Amino acid sequence: MGQPARPSRAATHPEPVRQQLSLLPAAALPAPAPRPPETQTATRDARPRQEHWMAIDLPHLALDALARTEPDPGRLQRPLLVVESDPAPRVHAANRAARQAGARPGMALGDALAVLDTPELVEHAPDTLQAQLEMLAGVLLRFSDHVHPEPEAQRILVEVGRSRRLFGGIEALRDQARDTLTELGFHPRIGLARSPAAARLLARLRNPAIAEDPEALRRILSPVPLEALPLAAATREGLRAVGLRQLGDLLRLSRPELARRHGPELLDLLDRLLARRAETLPRFAPPPVLDLSLRLEHEIHATATLAFPLKRLLRQAEAQLRGLNRSLQGMTLELAHREAYTRISLERGQPGIRTDEWLPLWQTRLDRETLPAAVIGLRLQAPRLLDPPARGDSLLAADPASRPPADQLPAVLARLRARLGEQAVARLINRRTPRPEDAQRPRHDLATTPAPTASTPGQRACGTALWLQGPEPAAPPDQPQWLGRLEDGWWDHGQDARRDYACSRDRQGRRLWLYRCLRSGQWYRQGYWG
Amino acid sequence: MSALDTLLDHPALWRGRSAAPATDAPVWPSGHTELDRALGGGWPRGQLIELLGAPFGCGETRLLVPMLAACGRDGYWIAVIAPPATPWLPGWQTLGIPPERVLLIHTEHDRDTLWAGEQCLRDPAFGVLLAWLRGPVETALLRRLRLAASESRACAILYRPPNAAAQPSPAHQRLRWQPAASGLELHCLKGAGHWARSGHPLQVPEPPEA
Repeated sequence: MGQPARPSRAATHPEPVRQQLSLLPAAALPAPAPRPPETQTATRDARPRQEHWMAIDLPHLALDALARTEPDPGRLQRPLLVVESDPAPRVHAANRAARQAGARPGMALGDALAVLDTPELVEHAPDTLQAQLEMLAGVLLRFSDHVHPEPEAQRILVEVGRSRRLFGGIEALRDQARDTLTELGFHPRIGLARSPAAARLLARLRNPAIAEDPEALRRILSPVPLEALPLAAATREGLRAVGLRQLGDLLRLSRPELARRHGPELLDLLDRLLARRAETLPRFAPPPVLDLSLRLEHEIHATATLAFPLKRLLRQAEAQLRGLNRSLQGMTLELAHREAYTRISLERGQPGIRTDEWLPLWQTRLDRETLPAAVIGLRLQAPRLLDPPARGDSLLAADPASRPPADQLPAVLARLRARLGEQAVARLINRRTPRPEDAQRPRHDLATTPAPTASTPGQRACGTALWLQGPEPAAPPDQPQWLGRLEDGWWDHGQDARRDYACSRDRQGRRLWLYRCLRSGQWYRQGYWG
Repeated sequence: MSALDTLLDHPALWRGRSAAPATDAPVWPSGHTELDRALGGGWPRGQLIELLGAPFGCGETRLLVPMLAACGRDGYWIAVIAPPATPWLPGWQTLGIPPERVLLIHTEHDRDTLWAGEQCLRDPAFGVLLAWLRGPVETALLRRLRLAASESRACAILYRPPNAAAQPSPAHQRLRWQPAASGLELHCLKGAGHWARSGHPLQVPEPPEA
């Protein structure tokens, strides 16, 4: 009882339902809001859920990308132009100082140089911008699985209708998306609407209004000037000639008349704006690898200075991996010099993606490194990405008094290795050969836990001494305590290395671990008893 | 009530009347009744203990075997930093110490030894830390190690040459050992219990199976 199909209820009592809903805050609306009859007739196509699109305009993408690599903020305070040379030298983007002096994007370079006093000029690189945009699209995958980058417009569209509740409402989601991008050093303009076309329009107009239903969308779009619409110049002229100024004027006219006078594409645009006609956008599929590079505008000579660009890269990697829902345990940093490369690898005990965990590790590791030449670029790669670790089973934080998990490596290992070197930290693996000096092998690869091996009978015959040293000739002891005999076998390659083990105390009080070679009768010191 | 008890057991909390360690303070067993009593229950966890003496190999590591075995049994890691010789792990294993829990760290300088020790103590996975110092070190570094030890639940053992006794140290306890006719003779140079006040040496015989 009490749950009739929504459309029928909307059809019988349309008004009460709508009023009731409008009292609720925007975020509290249920995702499948009742469709007013108008939309039902317009979109009879099967759209089972409410799409909601977030358009993210990045008008300053070229400048943002530049600022990310620029360690000297003072350089960005001076007038700076990003110049594209094809087909004619033209200003692609200008920073705030240049814009205040009168330079505008799209201006011919000659005009801009006339108003500016020796601006900094940077070549426009469309490939780099596209790569940046795709990187950001990968980052935005954490908000939705349907992301569509539009490189020529420097814009990314994200479908958020299904994920809005997960992020605590559409406004919270927008704020989170904006914070994510701002943290990476970008300046987004975000528009939200029920259709991609309207979202694009609102983003360009910097209109923060959020339309939850078609009525509201109509209200928001009505005052929009027709100049802002992406229309052909002839159509725009034609509309202006009949005295139409705002989108609202257009919406009041009859559809057949508009189609007849101004062509079907105008109607098509209006339908797309008001979400009457669905617009299918391909989904962005990120490459399943981590490979980020950064070109430095200035050479870096000291390892300490590398922390700034490295932090940027790590933040970017963190955001991208969050979008991919992957984690990693090791990464490789490639420092590009003019002629050569320095490659540094870092491996951790546990997988993780957080910048504040990786950055101190890298800093410790880089402290050990001396740069052979100035660094002009950085590249961060991950050889393999892992599935993110499962959340801990217990709701509360682990009690420090409880015993540590058996299969997990201590987290400190990565720090120790970063500072002391890979070779300095080891576990000893039993090779199961009886001769003590050959029986153990240090193992520096700590990622895999070796299967515990029991000591062999031959090893037990040598006694339970604690410390091992290479055998050295020793004087015969006074009162040897015999431990056992090590027979020869496959391990001594026919050298007849039969030994009698003993321990004894020397004059200094040391407890020596000795053996007598049965072939020569010579005594050797194998180590210390304890 | 139990929350209060947990709070009062915190190693960072010092209470004036408890000059000797509380009887329920976390310890690793030393395997020797008299030594247990002298140390206040066993090798204390969350403390830095210096063992001064020479030469290496007189049984001053065998003294700790019961503690290492208990630590390994409980699944904690054992850090062995800059030992003068290589551990013979098949022997350790026969004594009940799991070799896969032993982490060997080589360092070039005493400063690195102390740094690595501090890092290990800050990781809750470690139960015992054994470190060897070759020469004199700055007191500030030792103080850092003491702080890390008292915030941890590990027993930090620092082996130092005997002449370090002349230099004051921030360690919780300082014991000097010397080889005796049967086993080791331990003097307490610094400590909280009655053993330090009495000034009597303690004879610790070799474990019977040696």
